[in-house]
Amino acid sequence: MKNRDITLHINGEECRLNVAVNRTLLEVLRDQLGMTETKYGCGTGECGACTVLLEDGKAINSCLTLAATMDGKRITTAAGLSDFGRVNHIQQAFIDEAAIQCGYCTPGMVLKTASLLATNRDPSDEEIRHALEGNICRCTGYEKIVKAVRKAARTMPAPAACGAETCTEVAQ
Amino acid sequence: MNRETIVGTSAPRVDVRDKATGQALYAADIDLPGMLYGKVVRCWEHAHARVVRLDLSAAAKSPGVVRVLGPQDVTANRYNSSVLDLMVSEQMHDMLGDIEDQRIFTDHVKFQGDAICGIIAKSEEAAERAAAKVIVEYEPLPVYLTADASKQPDAIRFTPEKPGNLAFQLPEPMFPGHALGGGDVEAAMRDADLVVEDVFYVPKQKQCQMEPHAYIAKLDSTGRLNCWTSSQMPKLVQAKLAKLFGLPMSLVKVTPTVIGGGFGTRLGLISEPQACAMAMSVPGHAVKLLTLREEDWVISPSRHPGKYWMKIGFRKDGTPLACDARFENYKGGYYLDASGTAFTAGAWLGGMYKFPALRYKGESYFTNQGLTGAYRGYGNPQTNFVLEQLIDRACAQMGADPVEWRKQWHKGVGDDGWCPGVTYPSCALDECLDRGAAAIGWSEKRRQYAHQSGTVRRGVGVAVMNHTSGAMPMLLEHTACTVKLNEDATAEILFACSDMGQGSHTALKQIAAETLGFPFDHVQLSSGTSDVAGFDIGAHASRTIYVGGAAVKKACEDVRRQLLERAGRHLQVSPDELDIRDKRIFVKADPARAIEAETITRAGVYHFIDPATGQAGGEPGQIQGYVSFFAPHNSPPFGASFAEVEVDTETGEVRVLELVNAHDIGRAINPAAVEGQLEGGIQQGLGFVLSEEMYYDGNGRILNNSFTDYKMFGPSDMPKITTILVEDPDPVGPFGAKSVGESGLVSPVGAVANAIFNAIGIQFTEAPITPEKVLKGILEQGVRDYGSIGGAH
Ligand code: FES
Ligand code: FES
Repeated sequence: MKNRDITLHINGEECRLNVAVNRTLLEVLRDQLGMTETKYGCGTGECGACTVLLEDGKAINSCLTLAATMDGKRITTAAGLSDFGRVNHIQQAFIDEAAIQCGYCTPGMVLKTASLLATNRDPSDEEIRHALEGNICRCTGYEKIVKAVRKAARTMPAPAACGAETCTEVAQ
Repeated sequence: MNRETIVGTSAPRVDVRDKATGQALYAADIDLPGMLYGKVVRCWEHAHARVVRLDLSAAAKSPGVVRVLGPQDVTANRYNSSVLDLMVSEQMHDMLGDIEDQRIFTDHVKFQGDAICGIIAKSEEAAERAAAKVIVEYEPLPVYLTADASKQPDAIRFTPEKPGNLAFQLPEPMFPGHALGGGDVEAAMRDADLVVEDVFYVPKQKQCQMEPHAYIAKLDSTGRLNCWTSSQMPKLVQAKLAKLFGLPMSLVKVTPTVIGGGFGTRLGLISEPQACAMAMSVPGHAVKLLTLREEDWVISPSRHPGKYWMKIGFRKDGTPLACDARFENYKGGYYLDASGTAFTAGAWLGGMYKFPALRYKGESYFTNQGLTGAYRGYGNPQTNFVLEQLIDRACAQMGADPVEWRKQWHKGVGDDGWCPGVTYPSCALDECLDRGAAAIGWSEKRRQYAHQSGTVRRGVGVAVMNHTSGAMPMLLEHTACTVKLNEDATAEILFACSDMGQGSHTALKQIAAETLGFPFDHVQLSSGTSDVAGFDIGAHASRTIYVGGAAVKKACEDVRRQLLERAGRHLQVSPDELDIRDKRIFVKADPARAIEAETITRAGVYHFIDPATGQAGGEPGQIQGYVSFFAPHNSPPFGASFAEVEVDTETGEVRVLELVNAHDIGRAINPAAVEGQLEGGIQQGLGFVLSEEMYYDGNGRILNNSFTDYKMFGPSDMPKITTILVEDPDPVGPFGAKSVGESGLVSPVGAVANAIFNAIGIQFTEAPITPEKVLKGILEQGVRDYGSIGGAH
């Protein structure tokens, strides 16, 4: 199997890596970098547990993305939304609204929320539900997750006050 | 008025910061030095076959392979991956006919996905490559997908102990005539003015917990077998593994990991035997065994599908006279949980209404479908789909209001619950029905929907349920709990029962803090490992708060008593005259006379004698409390669900507009967590009744083991949800709490089916009620106004 040298900027840190060309971004994050906050739920793009965020605010399924094609990209994982244990406003909203049960879907859910809020600061319930379609939660019935996204939108720091490190979720 | 300050609040969950940032470690996230990777080679081609040749030689030579293991290379002992056999007495075990019929690797494939052999390699990729090089030749055997097929006299026996492939039926010595109930059903039916009867089919639903099963096992240098698992029942897994591998329990250590959803699927063993067998062949190395999603789907047990007959007789005035029922479930290839659901489906039936005569028969037949076992609700959604539809059929024919009929005839305080002799200590079902009906606008909508026209019709429906709080008296209900006070008067609690994500550890911490009179954050709760934690059955039967909470409360009361006794000696009053608030112990009649709890705990641990005076600084000894607790009773919760649906009579699509779940939970220790259980339950209940089923081809191979092909309700499919917590404190449960873990999914099943009946006047006997079935029903029976049926108005 061929390998390729790539550079990824993950949560603000530069990672130079040598990856097999058939490895998915999910495998590289979890197995090569030990970043287990990105979860495996299906491996086939159907559940959103493996969601990561790109710099343009787009959320992708890392299980469907070959790492070798991501050279030079800026990537945010759920751990990158918090800073030395200080959770960001999206994670806080999920905590406040009791939107976390088993937590397995949560990293993907908060990143999908960040992606939604990057383009739509005031989404309707319908827009929220639509945005979360690719992320499965089997515990909550989505009720409290939708509430959490609404709260995250309300508590989102104003763009002007938003420094580069406090606002990695929109990765501007 | 409640005087509690911590119980009854939505305290934030203890584990959410880790989960929100992705730092929580699920089994697959754990990495140990020098770890190897296991892979189980499974039979994907057949659901019933004999292995005639197994050639591992090419796989053994594959790069990176450390070991290959066939059936001869692992223990020949058999096991039963369920834990029910450990939860009954030996005598009852014999009566139930529990057997051990599973092997780590098999040469007789009984379902698609049965384990054939194992590979251990230096990487997952190497293990997978080697797995592809394993050569297996099979002799296909006839595939039996239903009980009708496998009970034929010429069918191959799944196991010699079970003639006719009848894995289980209610045992004669306990249930005369193999039936649960009592009274003369035949005579009562003869007296009935109205009899409703039908045959139903209930589906094979999958738990679909988001975390696929994952394990790590290691035989360490002291000869101990270590297993990291997300089982819901770590202590019973320890016992099962010890027995399977012939080890004393002291040489088996189980470390529970964070659980990414359970819903019953982790009730007992799944691949722990394979993971441990692999680890035992490479002493000193940890072996990680992961499960692919498509594999998870076929190897872990699902809900029991099958045929369900029921017949109910009534007098003209609505009085129920008798209920006769039989549930014949399609067990899957192995015995596990064969006795459980076959019994409980009838138990919930018996616990619901005042039938003077009842006869329920439950049977489990081996089939070559995937395994069946525990799934949240455990027989209850099946019964709800059948019973609640027949009640509404009768109501329509008698012109009775379904809410009023249920209020009149449901069982309540003092009646026998699901187990005869164990009576209901509390029941607030009437309030659930009243508040639920008001929330959905029952009376107006029923009137409005009685006569409709147009292609899109609406309906509202109701259903009720009873469940359980623990499994007493049928199964062992035992929990041990230890509480120790640190010198700064903070508490550490050890309690083996896992939190599957429902928030039970948070609620237990609230119970502990409240009982001790300590702030929430000054209490720590851990489930430890099998080394340190005392006995506990595990998280099943919605028992964690009702039984576990009572145990934690009792252990904390012990600690509190010790604290007050020492404080009483210090303050020179009797302990009864004292109370604790915020770690301050004070005389109730004179709150100014007080001592800090910390003064006592510190003196107990740092117990110095003043060398000058020879005086001790306080009473010696660290305060610890312990309880080995057996639940004295069972206080089942009740629930009423109301659904409003819209049926498109041209496409057959059913849209659920609103679902109200009103539940009598006794007391909500943590209201947000309780709501979360009810809301999540609705998603699974809607799936059961409308969309979720595992489909097989004629050869027993699954057709939809993916999230695209197996349809669960997604965020946009979910209706408007209203949860109503009806709090009527139970006299037995801790702080009045009853259970809530499973019950939320049960009555949405019947409520939706009944709402469809109200909308188009047709009942569907097969779940899930998919658009194809609705269209077929409309084609065959035609859309009818509910108001034109029988005596309905
Ligand atoms: S793991 Fe990537 S979408 Fe499920
Ligand atoms: S919280 Fe368990 S899957 Fe979402």
